[in-house]
Amino acid sequence: MNHSSSSRISASGPAVLLDGVTKQFGAHIAVSNLVLDIPRGSIYGLLGPNGSGKTTTLRMIMGILRPDRGSVTLLGEDTNGTARQRVGYLPEERGVYKRMKVIEHLEFLGEIRGMTRAIARQRAMIWLERLGLPEWAAKKVEDLSKGMQQKVQFIGTVLHDPELLILDEPFSGLDPINQDVLEEIVRDFHKRGTTIVFSTHLMDQAERLCESVCLISRAEKVLDGNLLEIKRQERSGAVALDYDGDDGWLDASEVEAVERTDSGVRVRLRDGADAQILLQRAMSAGVEIRRFEIVEPTLHEVFVRHVGEAAAAEAGLPSGYQAMGGAV
Amino acid sequence: MRVVLAVIRREYLQRVRSKWFIFGTVAGPLFMIAIIAVPIVLGLRDDVEERGLLILDRTGILYERVASRLGGALVVERIEAGESAESTLEGRIQSGDISGLLVLDAGTLSAGRAVYRGLETPSAIRRILIQQAVVESALEVRLLDASDADGARALLDGGQVEYQSFLGENSDRDDPAAALATGFAGGFLLYMTLLIYGIQVMRAVLEEKTTRIVEIVISVVRPGQLMLGKILGVGAVGLTQLGIWALSVVLLLTFGLPYVVAARPELLGLEAAMEFVPRAAELALFLLFFVLGYFLYSSLYAAVAAMCSSDEEAQQTQMPVTILLVVPMMILMPIMENPDGPWGTWLSLVPFFSPVLMFPRYMAGAPLWQVGLSLVLMVVAIVVVAWVAGRIYRVGILMQGKRPTLPEIVRWVREA
Repeated sequence: MNHSSSSRISASGPAVLLDGVTKQFGAHIAVSNLVLDIPRGSIYGLLGPNGSGKTTTLRMIMGILRPDRGSVTLLGEDTNGTARQRVGYLPEERGVYKRMKVIEHLEFLGEIRGMTRAIARQRAMIWLERLGLPEWAAKKVEDLSKGMQQKVQFIGTVLHDPELLILDEPFSGLDPINQDVLEEIVRDFHKRGTTIVFSTHLMDQAERLCESVCLISRAEKVLDGNLLEIKRQERSGAVALDYDGDDGWLDASEVEAVERTDSGVRVRLRDGADAQILLQRAMSAGVEIRRFEIVEPTLHEVFVRHVGEAAAAEAGLPSGYQAMGGAV
Repeated sequence: MRVVLAVIRREYLQRVRSKWFIFGTVAGPLFMIAIIAVPIVLGLRDDVEERGLLILDRTGILYERVASRLGGALVVERIEAGESAESTLEGRIQSGDISGLLVLDAGTLSAGRAVYRGLETPSAIRRILIQQAVVESALEVRLLDASDADGARALLDGGQVEYQSFLGENSDRDDPAAALATGFAGGFLLYMTLLIYGIQVMRAVLEEKTTRIVEIVISVVRPGQLMLGKILGVGAVGLTQLGIWALSVVLLLTFGLPYVVAARPELLGLEAAMEFVPRAAELALFLLFFVLGYFLYSSLYAAVAAMCSSDEEAQQTQMPVTILLVVPMMILMPIMENPDGPWGTWLSLVPFFSPVLMFPRYMAGAPLWQVGLSLVLMVVAIVVVAWVAGRIYRVGILMQGKRPTLPEIVRWVREA
C-alpha cells in the first residue's frame, strides 16, 4: 500500500511521544509521569518486570486507556484520530474470532483499519501464502492448530502495512518456529522503515533486537535511550582476557578482582583504571593473548544496577543472568 | 462509520449463517404451518372415512334443527323409533358401519339431556359440537314457543353488543376477544424475542471479551462504536427473523385460514378467523416496541457481559436484567383483567415493562396518549441506560478475573 510508505518517508517527528503520562487504577499507580520519545524507524524495547506498567503504557499509546494526566501523541496525532488505523497492534492476550473463517477474520481486521474488503482479502491471501497457510483460508479459525492461529494473528497485525508496530510481549507463548517467523517479520518491517515498539521482560531478547530501550520499574522510568550508548555509559570496568602464559602480570594496581573462567580470566578494574594499560602489561609479560574484550554490561546488569537486586528478583529474572556476579 | 458498518456486517453475517438461526427461523413458520395443517389433515382423514351419525328423535321436533347445526361437519341420518331393533343398531355400531346413535327425548327439550351411544367417545371438538347443537336446538324450540322467532335466533347467534367510546377507537377491530388474544400473543412474543436477542448480545460481547479479541478491535474502534455495532448487528438478525416470521404468519393466515375454515366450518367462521390477522398499524407498533425494548435490554445485557469473565458468571449476573423482563410477563394476565386500572396504567408506563405490558394494553384499547407516553419514556430510558452501560462496557471489557462489586461499578461509571 503506497500511501503509507510514502507518508512514512515524509513524516517527521517521533512515532510516539508520551509527555508526563500517569495512569492510576483505584489506589494502584500503574504508570507514573512517564516521558517517552520513540524515534521513527527504530526498534524500541519497553522493558521491565511483570506488572511494571508496560501493558498499561502500550494501551495508552493505542488510545485503549486514557491517561489520567499527560498527553499521548501517536504518529503526530492524538489517539482519537485515524492514526490508530496506521498502527499494527498485537496485545499480549492475542484473541481470534474462533468461529469465523480465516479469510473473513482477516478481512474484518483489515476493514476496521480502513481497508476495503477486496484489498484486505488480497493482502491476506498474500500473507497466508507467505506463512504457508493458503489452503486454510476458507477453514474456521478454531480448526487451526495453536501455532497456525498465532500466524493468523501476526497477519492480522501487519495486514494493513502499518507505519508502526506495537507488540506487547510478542514472543511469549510462541513455539520456536513462530518466534523465528515473528522475528523475521519484525526485521523485515524494520528494513522498510516501519517503527517497531515492543515490550518484554526478557532482557536477552531485547538486547538482540532493540536499537533503543526504555527500562521501567514500578510504574516509573528508570532509564531510556540508544542501547549501545546506554551500554557504553554503563560499562562497569570489566575486561575479559583469554590467554596462554603465566599470571604474574595480573598482580597490578589497576586490578581490583580476578575471576577465573573456562578459557581465561575476567578482570574487574579499579575506578578510573584504563583497560588499555592492562592490555599492555599482559603483552609485555609475554603471554599469548587470544581474546581481549572490554565487557559491556548486559541489559539485566544495567537494570539491576539501577533498580536494585530486590526489584530484579521481583522481575523473576533468573540469577544465572548475573554473569558479572558481585559487580554491584 | 465504515468501521461500525464492518462490525455490524460481521455480527450479522456470522449469526444469520449459523445453523441455529436457520433452524430457528425455519422451525417457527413450520410450527405455524403444523398448527394450521394438522387439523385440516385430521379433518380430511375423518371426511374420508366419515360414517353416519344416526339420530333417533323421540320428540319429533328437534331433528331438523339438530341436523342443520351438525350438517356441515357430520353426516347425519334420521331413524324412527322402532325402525330398527336396538340390537341391530348395536351390531352396526360394532361393525363400524355407523359412528354412533344420538337419542333425543323429552329430557332433551326440558333440560338439554341426551344420550350418545358409540364404539368410542367422540373427539372433544365433536362433543362440544354435538352438545352445542343439542342445547341450541332445544333452546330454540322453547323460545319459539314463547316469542318471536327472529329475536330468538339473533340471541342464539350470540347477540350484538356495540361499544361506543368517548375517547375514540384505537382499532378497527370488531371482536374484542380476538384483539385481546392478538395482544397476548404480541406481548409474549415481545418477551421472548427481547430475552432471546438480549442474551445474544450478552453472548456476543462475552465471546469477544473471553477470547480477548476485543483488545485488538478497540485499538481501532471506539468501545462505544463497537457496542453500538454489536447491538445493531444482533438487532438486525432479530428483525430479519421477526420479519420472516411475520411474513409467514400473514401469508399463512391470509391463504391458509380460508382452507382451514373451508375444511372445518364448525370450528370458526372465516370473518372471525380473519380477526386474528394483525393489522398493519399493530405490526408497526409491535416492531416499535421490539426495537425500543431491544435497545434498552441489549444495552443492559452488554453491560452485564462486560462485567463478567466467563459464561457461568454471566449466567448469574444476568438474573436481575432477566427478572426485569419476566416480571411484566408474570403480571400480564392479572393486569389484562383490568387493563386500564391504576396498576395496569402505571406499570405499563415503566420503560422496562412497557413492551410486554403496553402492547397488549393497546390491543385492548388503551388510550393512545398512554401508548405514546410509554414510547417517549422508553426513548429517555434508552439514552440514560445506554450512557451508563456504555461506560461499564468501556471499562469492563478489558477487565479479567474477579467480577466487580457494586461500588466498583459505580466508580467505573464515574471515571470512564
